[in-house]
Amino acid sequence: MNVAVCLKQVPHPDYLSKMVLDPVTKRLRREGIPLVINPVDRNAIETGIQLKEKFPGKVTVVTMGPPEAKEALEEALAMGADEAILLCDPGFAGADTYATAYALASALTKTGHYDLILCGNETIDSGTSQVGPQIAEFLDIPHVTNVKALDFNAEGLLLVEQSLENGYTKVKVRLPALLTVNKEINKPRIPSVIGIMEVAGKSLKKYGLAELNLSATEVGLSGSLTQTIEIIETEQKHDGGVLYGEPAQIAKTVGARLRELQLI
Amino acid sequence: MDFGFTREQELLRKSVRDFAEAEIAPKALELDKKGEFESELVAKMGQLGLIGLTSSKEFGGSGMGHVARMIAVEELSRVYPSLGFFLQTGNLLMYAIDSFGTLEQKNKYLPALNKGAKTGAFAVTEPSGGSDPSTITTIAKTDGSGYVINGRKTYISHADVADVTGFLAKSGEGLTVFLVEKGTPGYEVTRREARLGLRSVPVNEFVLTDCRLPKENILGAEGKGIGLAITSISVMGRTGAAGVALGATEGAYEAALKFCKERILYGKSITNLQSIQFMLVDMNTEIEAAKWLYYRPGCLLDQGKNPREVSVDIARSKLYCVDMAIRNCTKAVQLMGAYGLSPEYHVERFLRDVLELLSAAGTQEVMRLTIGGTITR
Repeated sequence: MNVAVCLKQVPHPDYLSKMVLDPVTKRLRREGIPLVINPVDRNAIETGIQLKEKFPGKVTVVTMGPPEAKEALEEALAMGADEAILLCDPGFAGADTYATAYALASALTKTGHYDLILCGNETIDSGTSQVGPQIAEFLDIPHVTNVKALDFNAEGLLLVEQSLENGYTKVKVRLPALLTVNKEINKPRIPSVIGIMEVAGKSLKKYGLAELNLSATEVGLSGSLTQTIEIIETEQKHDGGVLYGEPAQIAKTVGARLRELQLI
Repeated sequence: MDFGFTREQELLRKSVRDFAEAEIAPKALELDKKGEFESELVAKMGQLGLIGLTSSKEFGGSGMGHVARMIAVEELSRVYPSLGFFLQTGNLLMYAIDSFGTLEQKNKYLPALNKGAKTGAFAVTEPSGGSDPSTITTIAKTDGSGYVINGRKTYISHADVADVTGFLAKSGEGLTVFLVEKGTPGYEVTRREARLGLRSVPVNEFVLTDCRLPKENILGAEGKGIGLAITSISVMGRTGAAGVALGATEGAYEAALKFCKERILYGKSITNLQSIQFMLVDMNTEIEAAKWLYYRPGCLLDQGKNPREVSVDIARSKLYCVDMAIRNCTKAVQLMGAYGLSPEYHVERFLRDVLELLSAAGTQEVMRLTIGGTITR
């Protein structure tokens, strides 16, 4: 089974609250912020690797981003993915979810045949949950979002469990298909030393618009259906406070305050 | 001159950090309180390949190199120094076997040691001390096909949990390293010392009473044990102690910095007070300076330099990193006021842990003697 995993490099979760708006460009300042693989995308990578361990085939990881996004792909290769594709071209910049999904779907179509495409359920920096389903629509394949478990039945149909607010649904899916997974599905592995040493021998290909036969009007800012005009920071009007003392006493104080505010 | 790590080394650092933060950090307080050897975590370290970083590939290691091993020691110690220290002592015996052992000894011990399935220790110190090996009284007398050994070793890290221990004994005119396995008649771990820090590292005394070992248990050449021991202690033990010191200081500094940012005095964070900020700046600068002294010997060893050529760099690194650690972990406690001495804030643990390094793998004075002997030559 050939699996493709789409991933995104995002700011480290510990630094999200420290990101500030540039007053001139009105964009988030990312300088000095460490970048990591979007946390739930690691679950998608782990899902792909576990499938490869059960069924013959390979796992290809794909991302679109600046040259530094190569580092996220290398980490996925160290976890156990077999090959990586980086979509990197100034023409991809400024893409909304539609143009991002279009570029990724084009790359997936042109680089191989994948039985299953996996994505994380949402990213921590934008959280739209749109890219996975949009890729599936471009590829004209079925998709299931928010998947917490998967298996195959005797007929080779994919059986997935889709998380709901108060339970879950079981869904049969015919391959090829796309799934977006959530954190319940597994515990992503930490790359081993051997995995890290194998990265240098694995294929990591870089594609731009020319290699994918895409025009500048189809992707990036020009290919986007939506455009961010401005990001406006809201003023934090509430005062924070720090409580010191014994944990039990602090808990009582917090409880009393929440009751006073009628929040509980 | 290249001040950068390779991409492989950067990926390794991230893996070790992720492992330490996910698997060790949530338990650090409890591990320190319990004070037991953490065989489960050691096995996980083995599965990840963190134990065999300098060991040859043919014996189950990865051969990634000394800088890689030093990254692992630093990152583990940033969270829980006892486990960084395990790499130091465990690697010491593995290095000795890998560098000086016979093919049979390598095949017999290294694969399990690399995996973390078995544990090793290395013993020099006796009740009379460890800095002067000429005072060693443990004695091995030949009985034809083997040796009968009598003696006592003290303050030996991990002896209690070691499946195999290398120890230095007098035999004939010289000193020889022997390998003794757990359960060998006449070999008995007799005591565990109470310790201030590194509480997941058992520190033991063992006694050899008419302990008979075959010739095959000699590591390296008979009578050449002192060179083997000093090289292994220098390359693995001293660089390891420096790494534990550096990592622990980073852990203490990060905890103190976080505390200071959140601590409000006169209506704002105490990091706005110049006296506090300058202390943090000094800590940060000393940590960065220590990194260069720490990694330089590893880099030279990876370039193929002979351990003897690097011994002064290693001594300088151990000397500075440990002194720097004690100074700055104390500052971390000081910055946090009364909180600094509460276990749940971790910095008192880091301070207790780094104090253990004053004598580990050679005292600070032995490091000064090593450096002094060269610069005044």
